[in-house]
Amino acid sequence: MWTLVKQELFKLTRKTSTWVSSFILIGIQFLFAILSRIYPTTFIPANMFESLYFARPFITFYMIAATATIITMEFQYGTMKQVLYRRYSRGQILVSKWLAILVYSLYWYVISTGVTLLLRALLFRHSLSIHQNAGYGDTVFTRGLAISAASFVALWIILSLVFLLANVFSNSVAAVSVGIIGYFGTFIVTQLLTMLIQKWDWAKWNPLTMMLYPSMMARPGYYQTLLNMQSWQMLLGSVVYIAIFLSLGYNVFCRRNM
Amino acid sequence: MSSILSVQNLNKSFGNKHVLHDVSFDIEKGHIVGLVGPNGAGKSTIMKTMLGLFNFQSGTIKVDGQTVTPMKHEALSKVGALVEHPGIYPFLTGWDHLQLFADGDHQLIHIQKIISQLNMDSYIKRKTKGYSLGMKQKLGIALALVNFPELVILDEPMNGLDPESIKDLRDLIISETQQGATFLISSHILSELQRLAQDLLIIDQGRIVETTTMHDLLASQGKQTIMLMTNDDKRARDVLKKARFKMTADPRIEVVATDDSTMPRVLKTLVQANIDILDVSRLEGNLESSLLEVLKQNRIQQKLAMERAE
Repeated sequence: MWTLVKQELFKLTRKTSTWVSSFILIGIQFLFAILSRIYPTTFIPANMFESLYFARPFITFYMIAATATIITMEFQYGTMKQVLYRRYSRGQILVSKWLAILVYSLYWYVISTGVTLLLRALLFRHSLSIHQNAGYGDTVFTRGLAISAASFVALWIILSLVFLLANVFSNSVAAVSVGIIGYFGTFIVTQLLTMLIQKWDWAKWNPLTMMLYPSMMARPGYYQTLLNMQSWQMLLGSVVYIAIFLSLGYNVFCRRNM
Repeated sequence: MSSILSVQNLNKSFGNKHVLHDVSFDIEKGHIVGLVGPNGAGKSTIMKTMLGLFNFQSGTIKVDGQTVTPMKHEALSKVGALVEHPGIYPFLTGWDHLQLFADGDHQLIHIQKIISQLNMDSYIKRKTKGYSLGMKQKLGIALALVNFPELVILDEPMNGLDPESIKDLRDLIISETQQGATFLISSHILSELQRLAQDLLIIDQGRIVETTTMHDLLASQGKQTIMLMTNDDKRARDVLKKARFKMTADPRIEVVATDDSTMPRVLKTLVQANIDILDVSRLEGNLESSLLEVLKQNRIQQKLAMERAE
């Protein structure tokens, strides 16, 4: 299995887009840190720090694309056959792709968190303490970590759905489109969602609600009332949806003719 | 000698379309086997099913005694393959590909050996997006051979290769066979297959219609001929016809060799008629015509069987 994961990571490291996007991410973080330094009332330093200097939306978009293409490129380049007719089972091949994407998503979070800490040290050494109180008993640093962890889980709900769609359609356009719509859609339908949840409590157990897990970690008091949920329930729900989407994708992948 | 691949009663359908009908055959270790048949006969489907790419309705596939199914691939550690077009990542170099798929020890030495044998040294470190069809094909073949496979499955391996590369490939296949590898090759370039394959599997409409050796097929179709050049070809033809030798329609003097005694009898007849023989050569049978004949006979038999059934 480790050989397969290494092979997937080898392919990722050989793609120019991996390195270009890493530099773009760091560039975006620098840009928002500088804006926060110049316009601290518009781009509040503590909030910007917690948001990893706007790295998360970029990471989400990039990971959606990377997840879709790790499956669909094999069909596009005709390499799926070559990947499959080796001693490894189909299940192992797909799981290795999941693990490679897991490692890749961790890479993005580690890089963006490291750059965030560096930018804080470079530009906000005297104006922002990571130990300052952020409310609900958290410091700016622990709040930032909690939001990052929650957004990582929410990201994986989207990625598991993208894995499923990429396996069904063998086409990255469909998978990426649904992934991005799913990401934006959550924020667009939040109001409608809360109305539904207030009317029918069971409606809170839908995957779109789970996408609000990072918001819950940012403003727990507000979202707990709005969604009738605790953060542990959202974590549990997220894990269940990730497992459902991944297992559906697994079944599709194992049954299809290549 | 034991078999490296055994396929028994394999049936495969795509929806309602039954494409493989009770396909059964065995391949002996160390042999080069040609899988031949018309377009759509099921050659690629058989190969893909053997490689665990397709689900199948019934039957068994065993590589060196181990079963292969779409969910069970362990036995494929002994198999290298190139099916249809080579799968190439355009953002990797040829060397990256070989490194990516190579397992085990001494892989760098082996990779370098294959690269040299296929004359790929000049471009192997370049990204494959700039490769020609032939370069990609050679890389696909190199990938099939990179892990010292015991069984190599090649579907149309000569596609896009120039004559020099075809010769390199032929030499490589022979050298790998001498080291114990077994090859199953499907190709429409029958002249090339005729030079390589020892055994043949002839397939038509999803059925194995004949399992034979190259020698037996060519001999059974009676296509071995003797070609002659004389100082008077017209009279030589007349003399041979009068002596009841079977001649082909070829305007040159071509006598069908029915057995080993044909050659001395032809020569004796011409000498006795005082005709000078300037050149003589024995022409082996031709896979193309032999194959067409087998397919024709098979279809006639099928038609008759259907008529009888009605």
